[in-house]
Amino acid sequence: MTINHHPSDATLLRHAAGTLGAGPAVVIAAHLEGCESCRRRISEFESVGGAILEGMPLEPLKTDALARVLERLDLPPSSPRSGSLVTRHHRLVGLELPPSLHHCEIGPWRWLGPGFRWSKVSIPGSSDAKVMLLKGRAGLKLPAHGHGGTEFLQVLSGSLFDERGRYHPGDLDEADIDVDHQPVVGPDSECICLVALEGDTRLHSALGRLLWPFVGF
Amino acid sequence: MQSVAATHDRTAFAALFGYFAPRVKAFLMRSGLSANMAEEVTQETMLAMWHKASYFDPSRAGVSTWIYAIARNQRIDRLRREQTHTIDRHLDPSDELEPPDSGEDIALVAERDEQVRTALAALSSEQATIVHLSFFADKPHAEIARELGIPLGTVKSRIRLALNRLRSLLGDET
Repeated sequence: MTINHHPSDATLLRHAAGTLGAGPAVVIAAHLEGCESCRRRISEFESVGGAILEGMPLEPLKTDALARVLERLDLPPSSPRSGSLVTRHHRLVGLELPPSLHHCEIGPWRWLGPGFRWSKVSIPGSSDAKVMLLKGRAGLKLPAHGHGGTEFLQVLSGSLFDERGRYHPGDLDEADIDVDHQPVVGPDSECICLVALEGDTRLHSALGRLLWPFVGF
Repeated sequence: MQSVAATHDRTAFAALFGYFAPRVKAFLMRSGLSANMAEEVTQETMLAMWHKASYFDPSRAGVSTWIYAIARNQRIDRLRREQTHTIDRHLDPSDELEPPDSGEDIALVAERDEQVRTALAALSSEQATIVHLSFFADKPHAEIARELGIPLGTVKSRIRLALNRLRSLLGDET
């Protein structure tokens, strides 16, 4: 799989820094699963994090901190990372979802327009994250729209194109406030994408008005 | 680190704690956690380091990079746990089990860490500020604009320039 569209360095840096919102982070994680060059960038940025950590001034801990931690070493870890929470919902979507979504709750497909459906992706602990799956039939023209903030879109199946390029499975499109586009689903098959909107981003124009009552963003 | 992993050596753990815990706490406070929360998350980080020690793979990350990643994830988990008890799966080198490492890979990681340090030192102070703020700020654009006294609209291009420079210093293609 050749990947032609990647997250920006600024986004990868924020992902490595842990400062990207939960929604965008899930989409970037889905991209990283298939993109070795971006994983390498993340490793470099984590290494930058390590260097910054080494260079931090020292902030003393409470005097009993070490003793308290030593006491707890033999206890089992208190909060094991959760595995797949909601696998039953994943079958409804009818698509093998990226592992980064395995802890998320995936809603059923809902109607948005002819040949156009969406499914809500809920991230535990981040109820305000704006993440969804979008599915469009082959050749579907989406309403032209602009963005109030950055939109992250990872193609999971099928293809999509707009004025700026063509997006295939594995590609990630970052569309920010400067981008006005009208994506069109490729002619050969339906297309499923994972989409997150950053912060209080709303989509401008008809697409926003279409999504708003259903999706809440 | 290896003796923590191999023999659960408490003395080695205490030494790592003495070196890293005050740095992790400072890092977390700089990222916006209160002193109390930073203290707790630091202790959780050190505890997680102990439990995950067997996953530490020197062919994938240096010790400081590995501890950095654990602290970052503990911080995210902590902030999200305020809402529920489930936690997000975030990219974490300590969670991934990879094939056994070779001496060659370890040398490559040491080389990468070294290159990164050299590259950071070679950035202009403005560019270094941009990289630092990107690590510490949840809204880095606004903070970078404030810190450098430049318009918000200019921030994006400055970030791009700084990261391009970092990329070329690291010798990455494209």
